[in-house]
Amino acid sequence: MSSVRDANASSNTKPAANDSHSPPPIIKAAIAKKQPPPETSESVWTRRWVIFSFWAVAIFLGLPVWWKATAIYRAELPLQTMTDWADGKICKPVFPLRIAVEAPALPLQDAQHLVRTTQHALDDLNEFSAHHLRLMLAAAPFANASQETVGTTNDNTIEPFRVPRDKDIALSIRMLPVESGSTPRSELQQYSPALDVYYTPNQIPPPSSTSSPLATFIANELHKVFAEEQATLAHLLSTTSTAHVSKIKSLSPEFSAELERQSTRAFKYAPTYHLTFSLFSPTSVPSDWEIESALQQYLTPLLESFSSISNFTVDTQVQLYATFSPSMRQPEFDAELNAWTLRKEDLSGFINAAEWPLSPSIGIGPTINFVLYVPDPSQSPLLVKENGGNSWLVPQWGGVRILNPTVSGGAPSTPAKLDKEALASAMHTFSDQLFSLLGVPQTPASLPLRLTTLTRVRAASLVFSASSTLSALARLYKALPSIPIPDTVAKSVDLTTAHLQLACNDLREGRFQGALENARVAEAEAEKAFFERSMVGQVYFPDEHKVAVYLPLLGPVAVPLVMAALKELKSFLVWIKRRE
Amino acid sequence: MAIDQQKALLFGAAAAVRLLLFTAFPSLPNLLTGRVEISTPVTSFKRLQEGVFLYTHNVSPYDGGLYHQAPLLLPLFSLLPNPAYHPFATNVLYTIVDLLGANALMQIAETGQTVSSRLFTSPRKDLRWSSLAIGASFLFNPFTIATCIARPTSALTNLFVLIAMAKASQGASITFILALSFASYLSMHPILLFPPLLLLCYNMRVTKARTPPNPWAYTLSHVGGLALALVALLYTSALLTGSWEFLAATYGVRLLLPDLTPNVGLWWYFFTEMFDSFREFFLGVFWLHAASYVPGLTIRLRKQPLFVAITLTGIFAVFQPYPSIADATLYLSLVPLLRHLFPLMRYTFLASSAILYTSFLGPAFYYLWIYAGSGNANFFYAITLVWSLGLSIIIGDSLFAALRDELDVERPELRGKEVRRI
Repeated sequence: MSSVRDANASSNTKPAANDSHSPPPIIKAAIAKKQPPPETSESVWTRRWVIFSFWAVAIFLGLPVWWKATAIYRAELPLQTMTDWADGKICKPVFPLRIAVEAPALPLQDAQHLVRTTQHALDDLNEFSAHHLRLMLAAAPFANASQETVGTTNDNTIEPFRVPRDKDIALSIRMLPVESGSTPRSELQQYSPALDVYYTPNQIPPPSSTSSPLATFIANELHKVFAEEQATLAHLLSTTSTAHVSKIKSLSPEFSAELERQSTRAFKYAPTYHLTFSLFSPTSVPSDWEIESALQQYLTPLLESFSSISNFTVDTQVQLYATFSPSMRQPEFDAELNAWTLRKEDLSGFINAAEWPLSPSIGIGPTINFVLYVPDPSQSPLLVKENGGNSWLVPQWGGVRILNPTVSGGAPSTPAKLDKEALASAMHTFSDQLFSLLGVPQTPASLPLRLTTLTRVRAASLVFSASSTLSALARLYKALPSIPIPDTVAKSVDLTTAHLQLACNDLREGRFQGALENARVAEAEAEKAFFERSMVGQVYFPDEHKVAVYLPLLGPVAVPLVMAALKELKSFLVWIKRRE
Repeated sequence: MAIDQQKALLFGAAAAVRLLLFTAFPSLPNLLTGRVEISTPVTSFKRLQEGVFLYTHNVSPYDGGLYHQAPLLLPLFSLLPNPAYHPFATNVLYTIVDLLGANALMQIAETGQTVSSRLFTSPRKDLRWSSLAIGASFLFNPFTIATCIARPTSALTNLFVLIAMAKASQGASITFILALSFASYLSMHPILLFPPLLLLCYNMRVTKARTPPNPWAYTLSHVGGLALALVALLYTSALLTGSWEFLAATYGVRLLLPDLTPNVGLWWYFFTEMFDSFREFFLGVFWLHAASYVPGLTIRLRKQPLFVAITLTGIFAVFQPYPSIADATLYLSLVPLLRHLFPLMRYTFLASSAILYTSFLGPAFYYLWIYAGSGNANFFYAITLVWSLGLSIIIGDSLFAALRDELDVERPELRGKEVRRI
């Protein structure tokens, strides 16, 4: 329409002179001779005003709209702090473990001296400075409250000593004098974080000596108990952050590989895991199992002991007529074992992912699957060919256990209902698999110690992971100047650094449970910040693409505007020149 | 006297047709109300009923997020019996709205402002239809009848725009300002008609009055009057609903286009495809594009302000965010006023066949997309493009004709000769 505005007449009468095809040269010359009459100044000014009005709208309204609507909002992020966290400049995680020594039978001076010499021996043994065992003399349950303790440097650590079973005490050593048996000897309690050390009174070092066999023995025992934890933490430090490598002196490659294997097998840390117990059978039996009472008896205590680290939700299912996937090699009969066997390399195809309803994730948190497979009586017993085993673990997915029916009266028969006793062995297998899948260390034998070790390892790994997420976000911020950063991201980053600092302080002061909780929040916030949806909208939107957005619509509008403006400018320049 | 009789006959026939359609086909109003071509999110009668229901139950009508129309419609429609059970009153109201619109249109036709205004008289000024014919072309236009039966609130906007034009071409300042402020209050975009209509009103005033008023004072007083009327309307609305949230729910929706229900316009498809980060920018571009015609056309055709106003209604029927055929009806019923330009128009056949073609294929393609599932959104969008193209051809062609008409006055020796742009 804008083109019509500039309509004007030419007084040519030749029909050939329309716009669609160019006239032959003679006619062109004729047109050139016949100039249109000059425009009246009124129409010239009208045209100028019209052009000006369109330009005014474009410049005074269009430009501000463009400026306002396409501005990219980038919240300020503390980039330097974020990078510093990842480089370990702000927080060097240390793990000071408090170990209480209970020696009710010893006089105070002797006990203090024993603790002091043991601490010396322990410090000599320790190669990993971040992981530090600190011995302290615990108040005996009925001892005098005025007893002083060794290793107390500030006031707030006095308080826990009055309560022998404090949460922040990693391990208690109970010094028990005995008369018989080989001494010194030690025994680690299975279900409490306590190490019993038996000694004969004459092994107490005299106050003048600087070392003694008993002290060395205790130090060695302690070192053994925490060896795996130290190694795991050292491994974690060396793999996640370059700043700590120098500190680790000896970590054998084999051990390192073993730790690597364990950590790839385990799930990533999550505050909530979902456990699914499934019974699969290729036939119509067993159609029922006493899973609830079995879980109640065998698994609930375990899960409760885990509650300080993660929570669990549980569900169960029974699937009948569950067939193997057609691509899997069917079990073969092995006459030697008198059993049907599965080859080890086929185990990965055992789970028929296409047909068995094992959903990858239900609700929040990852799902850990436990599959109990009851083979067809005609194909039982079913075993793994290479080692005759009947269970295996699928890394980061779950565990499988084959429950072969009991042989009664010559022929194996499957009961219609699996009772609690029949499930007992399977439940033990699943417990072991659960521990491996959650990354619980293999040693020491004491379950509470293993769990507190896991707390420390998880807290440390969460701190590292949140820090590296922060630095990744900082790099993203610098690398992609065109992405918008909403305020929520800045808020999450602030929360992350605050909680990381809290977690770091907790670690330094030995409050590992608090450290885990803070690290968990930090990790969740860091992930939330990094995966903010509105940031990635324009990640793959380079500036060249903007041409494709602007041009198709604005180009056709702009061309007549620009051309008209140029034409007017030209005539204005001519007019200026003429005046000169 | 004869004219009055004919007029009464015409109005009676038009009212009879409408009331007959309402009563003979009781399901027709609801069917047409549901059509996206007639009812848009900002004018739909169904949404109005929802708002009235909430209003009569003492809930804020904008809480549901469905109602996007002006608050003052609510007391009006809550006075009427519920149209679900007693539709007669509503039907009569919409019939009267149409008749009043036709009356206003006939008043415009009688002033003859399109053919000869203060500064310009067309050489073809005798070539015009009678006001009765123009009124009939409005009242018996199938689009007008469909709009009336579907009962969108844009019928009211159309009425007020027509009254504003009629009063402006009679030079009645106060009624012109009141009508235009009502139209703008209901639909927002009619405020852009203010510059050409003000010019028209001023022209009439100059021809009538012995001493022409000072143009600046005249403009200032009218701008002030319009602002006052609008503020009064908005303030009443705020008193009525108890808060200012209606601003975001009514004008905010028109400006920001949150509801992408398909309609006959060009915006919805474009903004479903738009990258989110450019959405706001292109909303600005689209609105500025629609608004940028106002100053340019008013300056270029300042001698024919009524023609500018008519053309602007056509531009709004194409380029506003939620157009419907009700907006096209307004333009198409004003086009017969330009009878003197018809001989100069070159694409009448193309334009009318495009309009007819889309009127039939539009509903068919919508059916294929939504109900049959054998088409997709592109089917319907293609048809709405052709519809907009048809309207644009009429607008562009009439513009060309108007310019040619002016040229004929300036240079009478060129009459009937071919023109060429240079």
